[in-house]
Amino acid sequence: MTQATAKAKEKTRDGGLYILHRLAILLACAAVFYPGFNPGRITVEIGRYTSLLTACLSFDSLVGNLSRVLSKGIVTYGTFYLLRGASIAIVVGIALSAVGGCMSVGNNRMRRRGLLFPIAGSVLMGAGLAGIRMAYGQIVAADSNRVRPNVSGGFPLFIVLTAAILLTSILLLLRQRASGEALEDKMWMKEEYHLFLMFLPFIALAFVFSYLPLWGWRYAFFDYKAGGTLGAENFVGFKWFTYLFQNAATRRDLIRVLRNTLAMSSLGILTSWLPMFFAILLTQVPSKRFRRIVQTFTTVPNFLGWVIVYAVALAIFSTDGFINSFLKNFMGVQANTNYLMSSSHMWIKMLLWGLWKGLGWSAIIYISSISGIDPVLYEAATMDGAGRFRQIWHVTIPQLMPTFFVLLLMSIANILSNGLDQYLVFSNAINQSSIEVLDLYVYNLGIGSGQIPMSTVIGMAKSIISVFLLFGANQASKVLRGESII
Amino acid sequence: MSEKKKMHASTGPRYKTSVGDKLFMVVNVAFFVIFTFLCVFPFYYLFINTISDNDLVNRGVITLLPHGIHIRNYLALQNVSDFGNSILVTVARTVLGTALMVIASGFAGYLTTKQKMWHKSLWYRFLVITMYFNAGLVPWYLNMLGLGLTNSFWGYIIPGIVAPYNIILVKTYIESIPAELEESATIDGASNMQVFTKIILPLAKPILATIAVFGAVGNWNSFQDSLILMANSPNLYTLQHRLYVYLNSASNLKNVMQSGGQVTAAMLNTKVIQYTISMVTIIPIMLVYPFMQRYFEEGIMLGAVKG
Repeated sequence: MTQATAKAKEKTRDGGLYILHRLAILLACAAVFYPGFNPGRITVEIGRYTSLLTACLSFDSLVGNLSRVLSKGIVTYGTFYLLRGASIAIVVGIALSAVGGCMSVGNNRMRRRGLLFPIAGSVLMGAGLAGIRMAYGQIVAADSNRVRPNVSGGFPLFIVLTAAILLTSILLLLRQRASGEALEDKMWMKEEYHLFLMFLPFIALAFVFSYLPLWGWRYAFFDYKAGGTLGAENFVGFKWFTYLFQNAATRRDLIRVLRNTLAMSSLGILTSWLPMFFAILLTQVPSKRFRRIVQTFTTVPNFLGWVIVYAVALAIFSTDGFINSFLKNFMGVQANTNYLMSSSHMWIKMLLWGLWKGLGWSAIIYISSISGIDPVLYEAATMDGAGRFRQIWHVTIPQLMPTFFVLLLMSIANILSNGLDQYLVFSNAINQSSIEVLDLYVYNLGIGSGQIPMSTVIGMAKSIISVFLLFGANQASKVLRGESII
Repeated sequence: MSEKKKMHASTGPRYKTSVGDKLFMVVNVAFFVIFTFLCVFPFYYLFINTISDNDLVNRGVITLLPHGIHIRNYLALQNVSDFGNSILVTVARTVLGTALMVIASGFAGYLTTKQKMWHKSLWYRFLVITMYFNAGLVPWYLNMLGLGLTNSFWGYIIPGIVAPYNIILVKTYIESIPAELEESATIDGASNMQVFTKIILPLAKPILATIAVFGAVGNWNSFQDSLILMANSPNLYTLQHRLYVYLNSASNLKNVMQSGGQVTAAMLNTKVIQYTISMVTIIPIMLVYPFMQRYFEEGIMLGAVKG
């Protein structure tokens, strides 16, 4: 689309038509990935989440639910081979059109060659659509309630797109012939477009995986149940937003979860000086080998996932873990406590696990900064008679402050995002109420109990507040330090 | 982080050695010895329990030293259902996911250094801005569902290809390479692609190695995407997810057993199996860690420069 707008700036005579041409190709490319637009969903028995591309790649996605119907001969495999062949034809056709679309930003020669691709492509697409129509006819003819025919919304869409691609290509080709413009000797494209086309796949991926999920925010306004549809009949406006505050049980949950979230984040922020402290103390040790060993071993836990940390916790603190076995074998105490099955001091415990995992790693950035401090500063301090502690206080800490400040602001901006893994793995029936943070709550609500609209509302609020916090932190940094952090 | 600066820190400022100073040093070193011990011991404990005689482990005797060393527990893992699958899936996603991410970050990072690109700064921002917002877990899940990437191996791979943060790191690194190298190659008639493969790639190796190491560790440790996307496909669970399931099912089992007041051999065996699987997940990281440590440390400093 954007590609097209740039082209329009070039004031070519065919500008408008080219925009339409590229737009149709772009839409067709996008529709290939979207199950909702799969023209090949000719029966309800084909999964709701089968896109046209999936249909090409996996035959099982077409016939997976139909093995009994097929074995009884109500419909034949032939129908589905036809369907798959047709799907492949459409996808190949769209790929050809896409090649043509890319070539349409080249010089005259490249454009004219390029127009042949979408013509061939749209013919293929047409053939594919005809194939789908035939397969559909066979499904209808089977007339069985075990293969209920279905006309996908994608079918008319693809007809329109195919027609648009074909027509625009032919018109453009005719016009170009008629204009009598001289063709260059070689195909050639401006470098700016060439670079852009190479970058396009990355833009597309970022769009699909980072921007498109925002479209899912619409679920917040519907009374949606898993597997259902969104339509006017279940549109509820801001019901879920007010429900959050009006329903006493939800409100209580939310307050509890927010308390946990803010408490644990605050503990993290209050202890955010520890890595710096760790680094300063470690660099005071003269032996390089000692520092190296400490650094190596204390950073390892950071590279193991939270599940492993939980495994470690089980091994040490569970009923038959290290603590109990140590007490039994060396103290003669009969101990059988499962320390993980307790809800006391959860906030502190989570903080300690976080420190165990991350302290050594977070210290590295300060250790590197310390080794980068200009030795002249220390020499000057020594001349002034400053001892170890005054050097730390007057030289080292001020030098580390900018780094500390940035990290502090980032942790304030992330105050609502504690992450999911840690709290999920450590949660159990007993400690649930004091460990559940916002991320875990959204997970439990949305994925666990399928309350999609509610969890979307909460996630949405969280995302928006987080963005504001980030901008606030950035602004604070600009004011206080004259530097932005993002 | 140059070697010179490091050298300096080690020879560092000298102080007069007063009694208070010596005391500080003793306390300081003691603190680090204890903290390091706390970081290492749990893994040692897990390990000795996996290689010791299973009967002794079951009786809870193995506390500080291994007894009756054997490796049968590791060999027995091949009989644990779905475990082999999880290893295959995890190795496959680590190799493929990391390779694609590194290639994509390298190429995208290179392209974003090209001022000539049509609306370059717009597209660059389009990419970078995705680091700062997030639609939320459920919309993300619904999007993946809509794309057909749930219960599919590709759900692990495709979303990870474009990693904006890594692209920024590569871009910053390439910008530090003298532009003359690229210019002279262009004058000699090299295309963008040739410049990338012949000049940029070899020179950017250090940064690519760094992001590869981080990417590989991230993939190896991946848990959340497996948990959410692959709920109905146990054969696609990653190692961490598989371990999580084993840890939980056994702890549930334990609760049930304890309320009945009985301890069976079957239950205690699950403990050894849990430990062994944990070790299998940990060992690869431990083995490569010493070689990769440099890259990890460089990585965190790069992040700091970027701010």
